[in-house]
Order: sequence, then C-alpha cells, then structure tokens
Amino acid sequence: MGEAIVITSGKGGVGKTTTSANLGTALALQGKKVCLVDTDIGLRNLDVILGLENRIIYDLVDVIKGRCKVHQALVKDKRFEDGLFLLPAAQTTDKTAISPEEMKELVTELKRDYDYVLIDCPAGIEQGYKNAVAGADRAIVVTTPEISAVRDADRIIGLLEAEPIDPPKLIINRIKSQLVNRGDALDVNEITTHLSIDLLGIVLDDENVISSSNKGEPVVMDPSNPAAIGYRNIARRILGESVPLMSLDTGKPGFFGKLKSLFAK
Amino acid sequence: MTTKQQFVTIKGTKDGLVLRLDDKCSYSDMIAELRRKVSENSLEGVAEVKVHTGHRFCNEEELREIMAIVHESPHLRVSKIQSDVISMDECNQKIVERQSETYIGIVRSGQVIEAEGDLVVIGDVNPNGKVVAAGSIYVLGRLKGMAHAGAGGNENCVIAASWLEATHLIIADKMETMTDELTILSEQPEMECAYIHSNGFIAIDRLQELRILRPNLSTFKGGS
Repeated sequence: MGEAIVITSGKGGVGKTTTSANLGTALALQGKKVCLVDTDIGLRNLDVILGLENRIIYDLVDVIKGRCKVHQALVKDKRFEDGLFLLPAAQTTDKTAISPEEMKELVTELKRDYDYVLIDCPAGIEQGYKNAVAGADRAIVVTTPEISAVRDADRIIGLLEAEPIDPPKLIINRIKSQLVNRGDALDVNEITTHLSIDLLGIVLDDENVISSSNKGEPVVMDPSNPAAIGYRNIARRILGESVPLMSLDTGKPGFFGKLKSLFAK
Repeated sequence: MTTKQQFVTIKGTKDGLVLRLDDKCSYSDMIAELRRKVSENSLEGVAEVKVHTGHRFCNEEELREIMAIVHESPHLRVSKIQSDVISMDECNQKIVERQSETYIGIVRSGQVIEAEGDLVVIGDVNPNGKVVAAGSIYVLGRLKGMAHAGAGGNENCVIAASWLEATHLIIADKMETMTDELTILSEQPEMECAYIHSNGFIAIDRLQELRILRPNLSTFKGGS
C-alpha cells in the first residue's frame, strides 16, 4: 500500500505543478513507483511539463465517470522503466465534474499499485482543492519567499490542519539567494517561524527550471543543477533519509570562505 | 392604623432610600400596596430610591411594572433594582462569562476563535486570523492578526500579548487599525496590553501596567 501526498499552496504560480513534476521524477529516479495525478481540471499543465501531452488519450474525469479503466488513462513516462505514470486532468470540463468522495476512491485504488501517489492541487481553496485533498495521507505546502504566498500558505495550512491527515510539511520554492543574503527577501527562518510547520526543503531559483519545463523535461534530471539538488534532497527526505538543508551561499566564496573550505578538507 | 404586616417598606440607609418589597406575599398584593404607598408618599423634591425585591424572582415585565408604579410618584426615581435571586439561565451565563477558555494552537489566516468568557491563546494569531472573546484576550505568543475583546460590550476588557503586533484591535465597540501612523505603536511590541483609555480611545501599554490600569481583572485568591 503506497502513500498519497497532495502538493498544494493556496496561491497560484508558486510552483505546485513544477514541484509535483520534479518530486515525482526524483522519486522515480530513486527507484520508486510513482503516479502523478493532475487535479487542476480545466487548466491542466502537469502533462506539458513532463512532456507527455501528446500521449494523453483518457483523463481523470473519464476514469471517474467510468468511461475507461484507470490503467487506460495512465500515461507512462518512457524515461523510466514502469517508474513514473501520469493521470492527466481533463481540459474540457471544470472542477465540479468530480466530487471529493470519487477522488478518494480513485486515490485508494492507485495506492494499491504505486509507492507514491502525488496529487497536484489547483490554486484556490474551493472545490478543486477539496477534491485534491480528499484522498491524501499527507500534504506538502509550497510557498515562495513573498509575503502574499506566505499568507496564502498560512490559510491553506489552517485548512489542512482541520483535515484528518498528518501535519503538512513546507517547501520554500524559488529562493533567490542574493536577495536573501542582501536581506531584501523573507528568509527561510522567518517563513518557518511564521508558519510553524516542519520544513521539508528549499529550492533555489534557477532559470533552467523554466527552460527545461518548456522542453518537457523536469530540471531534476540534471544532477548538477542547484534547483535539481533541492528537489532531490526533498525526495530523499520523503523517503525518510535525513539530509541537511542546503546552504544559500552559491555565490563565489570570499577569501575566508576559501580558507574555510580548505581547512574543511 | 391596622397592625397587619406591611408588604412594602421604605427605609433610609446610609446609601439612600431603599424600597423593600416583601417576598412572601402574593405579587398582586405587593403591587397593590406599592401603588398605595407611592401615591401617599409625602416626600418633597425628588429622591433616588433603590428597589429591593428580596427573594422574589421578578421577570423583566414585572420589573418594568414595578418601575412604572414607582415612577408614578413625582418624588421618586429608581436608581437600581436589586434582588437576592437570579434565574438559572442567568446564573449559567454568568459562569460561562467568568470562565477562561484556553486555545492551544496557531490561529491561522481565515480562522476565527470565539470564547464566551476570557480567552487564552497559547500560540500565535497570524495575519487575517481572528480571536473574539466576551471577556479579555491573552495571547501567549505573537498576536499578528485581529483581536476583539469585550465583544458583549464590556469596555473594561483588555488584550494582552507576548508580542502585540496586531493588524486590528477591537475592545467593546472601539476599533483601532494598527497603521504605521499610529503613535501608540512601539518599536518592540513585546509584552504589551491594549485597553480603553479614559479618553475613550484604545491605548497600548506595558503588560506590567495592567495591575494599575485594570486591578479588577485579577481573580486571584489566596497565597500569602
């Protein structure tokens, strides 16, 4: 029996879908059997980021309405040997097409065959959110170091805490290390104290995240990319490993920094 | 003058006149005698009088009737109606209002926590979170959202917090939005309390001043 994790944020555009795609890929790279479920009905994106758009035949609503079997709708990512599948959202209907009960039933079914079922939640706190959370065992809240995203994360954490699931965990996405080091952005500490939930990991802002998403290849495939390292660390923490938090000093080390690293060897 | 027992007596005490209504006789007898007493009253000028109903429970309507009868006399004004009894409902309500409720957790954006008495929050109140209490509010944590104390109209209530950085403070029907222009805001909003100042506006002071500002809030008994 696998585990269902919902990836949510409240606010739109903070990187829920990118995070879902990358965490799913990272878990598959670790040899886990992963199913990604896109619940953003009407505004589906996850298929595009994974580069699987052209292979969609059936979607989430087809499965729930009984127009096809689950395995018929699942799109296999050929980069992984039976490791990564996507259940795409429908594009021609809206979020009220399915109910939380139906969603729960579907996720329970998927959990039988997969180690991890990652549910990509739509923005907002309405029907789409309720559908996405219904079948989840745990939740990951994605935020960025912006006050508006943190406020919405706070709201969503409040709603998640009222659900019968484990306490949600936090990912701070798109951290601009220079901005933080200058003191012009909220830092990791400030955000975690404000939200008072466990930090699952941080992801640095990186241009390649966008360019690789556009190519349909999640950035996490590139092991040297700083954002990819963040995602890989988070995947390892989900698997139960303890991985130290990455440092924000990506700029050139100063003289003392060099000296320190010299002694560290 | 007959020697029958009087149902209504007027007594002068050091606090003024007290109109004592007998609680053993029937209500109608008492009312009839009250009418008679009030009309034969030989006072001059206007005197304030306290009505004491003893162990008789009078409902709102009956109290209004008693008031109206006393006010028929041009010389009497009712300053207060006292009674030795209250109804069960009223009593339970009083108990609830005196109670202090404790909430442990974080009041997050969009959440509202309400209490019928005092409210103790152990945790933070985040922006857009709201705490409402008929009594006072004490936050052991950071108050960064909205707080409404004395929601039933009690202006003596206070809002105290380990870190008072609220966006809105409301006490009874007075509201203060904590904008930057506000002069009462301090740089270090640590261990502070908000109360209604005698000038009618909400003021903020150090928590330690509370014992002088609102000594009646203390319910502590015992110790040495």
